[in-house]
Amino acid sequence: MPPKRRNHDIIEVENVGMDVDAEPDSDSEEEARRRSRNRRSKSQRKAKQVSEDEDEDEEEEEDEPPRRRGRRKTTKTDEDETPQRRGRGKRTKPQDSDEDEEGDKRRAARKGSKASKKKAAKETSDEESEEEKVGRKKAGRAVSKKEKEEQNKEQKGNVKGKDGENKDKKKKKKMSSSSSSSSSDSDEESLSEGEIAALKEQVEEKKKLIATLRNKPWRMNKRLSLLKEAQDFVEKFEGALGKGKGRRLYAFKVMMTKKLIKFNRDFENFKTACIPWERKIKEVESHFGSSVASYFLFLRWMYGLNLVLFGFMFGLVVLPEVLMGLPYGSIPRKTVPRDEEDTAMDFSVLFDFGGYCKYSILFYGYYNNDRTIGVLQYRLPLSYLLTSVGVFGYSLLVVIRTMARNANEGGDGGDEGEFIFSWKMFTSWDYLIGNPETADNKYASITTSFKESIVDEQENQKDENIHLRRFLRVFANFLILCSLGGSGYLIYFVVKRSQEFAKMDPKTLTWFENNEVEFVMSLLGLVCPPLFETIAELEDYHPRIALKWQLGRIFALFLGNLYTFLFALFDEVTAKLETEKSIKNATEWALHQYYANYSSFYNTTDVPPPKVAPADVIRGPCWETGVGREFVKLIVSDVQVTYLTILVGDFARAFIVRFLNYCWCWDLEAGFPSYGEFDISGNVLGLVFNQGMIWMGAFYAPGLVGMNVLRLLTSMYYQSWAVMACNVPHERVFKASRSNNFYMGLLLLVLFLSLLPVVYSMMTLAPSFDCGPFSGQEKMYDVVIETIDQDLPAFIGNIFIYASNPGLIMPAILLMILAIYYLNTVSKAYQQANTDLKKKMQMAREDEKNRRNNKDSTNQVMKDLEDLMPDKSLAPPPAEEEKPPEVVIDKSVKPTKTKPGTAEKGVNVQKEVSLAAPNPRRPVTRAPGPRGGPPGNTRSPQPQPGKGRGQGAAPRR
Amino acid sequence: MGSSSSSLNNVPDGQQLMQETGFSAAHLLRLYERFKFLDKDNRGHLRSEDFEAVPELSENPIGDRIVGAFFLPGQETVDFSSFVRVLAHFRPTEKNRTRAGAQPEPANSRNRKLKFAFRLYDRDRDGKISRTELLQVLREMLGMQVTEEQLQSIADRAIQEADLDKDDAISFDEFRKSLEKVNIDHKMSIRFLE
Repeated sequence: MPPKRRNHDIIEVENVGMDVDAEPDSDSEEEARRRSRNRRSKSQRKAKQVSEDEDEDEEEEEDEPPRRRGRRKTTKTDEDETPQRRGRGKRTKPQDSDEDEEGDKRRAARKGSKASKKKAAKETSDEESEEEKVGRKKAGRAVSKKEKEEQNKEQKGNVKGKDGENKDKKKKKKMSSSSSSSSSDSDEESLSEGEIAALKEQVEEKKKLIATLRNKPWRMNKRLSLLKEAQDFVEKFEGALGKGKGRRLYAFKVMMTKKLIKFNRDFENFKTACIPWERKIKEVESHFGSSVASYFLFLRWMYGLNLVLFGFMFGLVVLPEVLMGLPYGSIPRKTVPRDEEDTAMDFSVLFDFGGYCKYSILFYGYYNNDRTIGVLQYRLPLSYLLTSVGVFGYSLLVVIRTMARNANEGGDGGDEGEFIFSWKMFTSWDYLIGNPETADNKYASITTSFKESIVDEQENQKDENIHLRRFLRVFANFLILCSLGGSGYLIYFVVKRSQEFAKMDPKTLTWFENNEVEFVMSLLGLVCPPLFETIAELEDYHPRIALKWQLGRIFALFLGNLYTFLFALFDEVTAKLETEKSIKNATEWALHQYYANYSSFYNTTDVPPPKVAPADVIRGPCWETGVGREFVKLIVSDVQVTYLTILVGDFARAFIVRFLNYCWCWDLEAGFPSYGEFDISGNVLGLVFNQGMIWMGAFYAPGLVGMNVLRLLTSMYYQSWAVMACNVPHERVFKASRSNNFYMGLLLLVLFLSLLPVVYSMMTLAPSFDCGPFSGQEKMYDVVIETIDQDLPAFIGNIFIYASNPGLIMPAILLMILAIYYLNTVSKAYQQANTDLKKKMQMAREDEKNRRNNKDSTNQVMKDLEDLMPDKSLAPPPAEEEKPPEVVIDKSVKPTKTKPGTAEKGVNVQKEVSLAAPNPRRPVTRAPGPRGGPPGNTRSPQPQPGKGRGQGAAPRR
Repeated sequence: MGSSSSSLNNVPDGQQLMQETGFSAAHLLRLYERFKFLDKDNRGHLRSEDFEAVPELSENPIGDRIVGAFFLPGQETVDFSSFVRVLAHFRPTEKNRTRAGAQPEPANSRNRKLKFAFRLYDRDRDGKISRTELLQVLREMLGMQVTEEQLQSIADRAIQEADLDKDDAISFDEFRKSLEKVNIDHKMSIRFLE
């Protein structure tokens, strides 16, 4: 190890030598002398080293100067370099002590010349026209050097003095505060010396540009804009370098920008910290991969959506009714009926959402049908209807917008796949991690991401028998269709039977016959998903795609669930509507009787309403509240089941596996029960269907949204704890697609499905006559019509009448279809254009790379450009003289070397190279580095394959 | 140049280091304070144990290599000037400064940064990252989580990706190429040295 290290050190020293050579004003004798000495000392040192080393370094030296010299240089940089050279000089060759003095002298001289130039430029920058500037500049140069030098020094001293002040202040501060705060210090100091130097340099550069603009081979437009830019710049920053006010102002500005930057950074951090559960999700992601994290992201998104829905429902419906509506117990619909009063507070009843719960703001029935309530004349029934519709509208909007945005995001991941593993290996660690826990997470996340990439890679490299695979896939789909059809029929059959049972006397039925539907449903839910998973093994998809299929299939299965639920509900509703009709008739008849009796008895037409306590009033079944209760009960039982499953299926299992493993006859952890995996598909679908229930139920039970918000909140914590504590990562961790549009698609479908029954009930079913905001209306939407008729000006009513005319609706629908068709076509065209552009960009980039890497170009401008490019090779290109041997070697060695065993692509590339080599002006398709190799090769040609051109660093051993 | 150098006086070779590395006086002062902070016994130099006190380094999978990069070959200690010279690699590059024909590559250029990173992986300093060297890093980074077989395939794959001349090792050029699109200037910069 040590000798190698020294080697590297020497190289660094050589770089210094290179620096020295790079002096542009090397014409002075001093310089030349110095350089030769430099070289001498170097070679002395190098003698100890391996010979190859020396060659290369010398090559470096010889090669560098001409290239560098060709460049234009500002005198400013010389000043910078001199001390640097001095510093390194000390390190490399302490024997020449006169070096420093020389350097100083030269530095002073340079400063003089520089000052003159600068002054001239400063003067010129005030002028408007270019010509004058140049003229002036020339004149300016003629001004005596000494004067300028003095001026310059003064100026500098001033600047430094200021700086010193700053620093002193800062020092005091530092002493008082602890030394650990990092960024605040640099912010305090408004203008550091380095910055001033940089600024000076920039101003200098700009001035130079202004001076030489005339000679540039650019278009007039470009020249003008550049000139303007440069002038602005000089004007702006000249003040900073000058004295007094301008500088202070500038310093203030700089300070403010720094403050602003810091503030922005802090604000960004703050924003990140404000994203709820970001850290939790990241932690899960680092251990379980992006697929599991995608579920939690979805959950979080859902939580946000529900929060907004809750805001709507609560703010526009629940709160007004609580604040401005009649209090509890004032009217029958807000009172617990007499026969239920005894049990109304029982826990079992409350838990079933009966009793007081049933007659609370949670449910539809509680709301009064007064057209306006409170002093604000708030139209509650109208708001109830519009909010319920608005919830659907908003959800649709958000889901579709999110899908569209995600689709955009998914598009640009195309060109990442070039150096996946190298990047992961070299750049994935975050060097700012100092916390052991974070470090653990980072380890886990790197591992996971490697695993994900491995799975992707395996998938890419799968060499498959396409016919067999196709057959298996068709076969698997057939099997799954069969089982889906079978379970669908089973559900249909069972539901039908249950309807028959419902007609019979419930006492004659057994327990099984009573609960047959639920039993069959949960059995199907238990058996089918694993069955599908097993069948999906046949298909051998990438796990990401397999997950989508699995999701789709279970979704289809669960639709049956939904169907039975709605079916049962609908039966209940029709039954309730019947009873309600009879009760309504009876009540009306009773009232009629009462009025008739009263008027005949007292002989008056002014009949007061019957005095009955609200609790004693006979009332209808209020089917809306019934439906709402069903939904609420369903959600609650769903929550219970989910949480219990996690507790038993994951936690208890993990507990047993972990602790019983010490005294068990086989390895529980590796063997049979093992730890559970996180069930992505089940959880996602659970979430989706849960949301469907919320959408459907929110109309009948406005409090449902609030309950759902609570549920999502708890399950976020609970599940993320459970997954970290009890589950193990999937065997094949795979990368989820960045957009979880598939989940969104399912959600959209469910949203649509849940929209149907609600709208149907709004439009066709008659609302209960004695409960809810729409009581007394024929249909629920009559509230809207009523409002239009009574509260809005007449012409709006007319507009609505026209708008609802079929003659207008048909063309509107037609227009919409046409618009969809048009937009679809346009989007396809854009997609096409997009892919074309991508291709073009790829090509352009490769082209550029080739050009950049072609170091053989003799064009001066091109060389300059190349030097500006950030990537210069480690091994410098060889001197021009060494070209011929390279070509020879290439021609003779390459073709034989590369042909055996290399991939097609490699051969192609290398062929191109060997073709390109003889003609130096042609583009070469590889890095400049390899050309460092040939010198080594010329000396000791290595015949074995792979030791060829591409080894810039090989000879350095 | 009065007062600025007086504050720099405490720092050994202050002016010289400033010019050499491009750090401003304030940065140097700060670095010096940090240096003294790490140097618990005021010996004027640091040992590798001192570096291990930095949690960021002790947590890093290749932390020991980074620490090793501070030490000149054969030396047990590092003094302030070499400390600063190594850190100069991490000085952020100035954005708005076109280095049109300016100085020779400063230590914080992209190339030098990359070279520094490359040396961290190139353990035996032969100018190439070999398969075994990659495997070492991978083992430190992934540990027991991944099977040995997979580790090897990752290493093979990484080499295959970056290796252009088919010598089963990654040379600096290949390393540079593979990281062409990575924003090294950003990644290998210490913010407070701006």
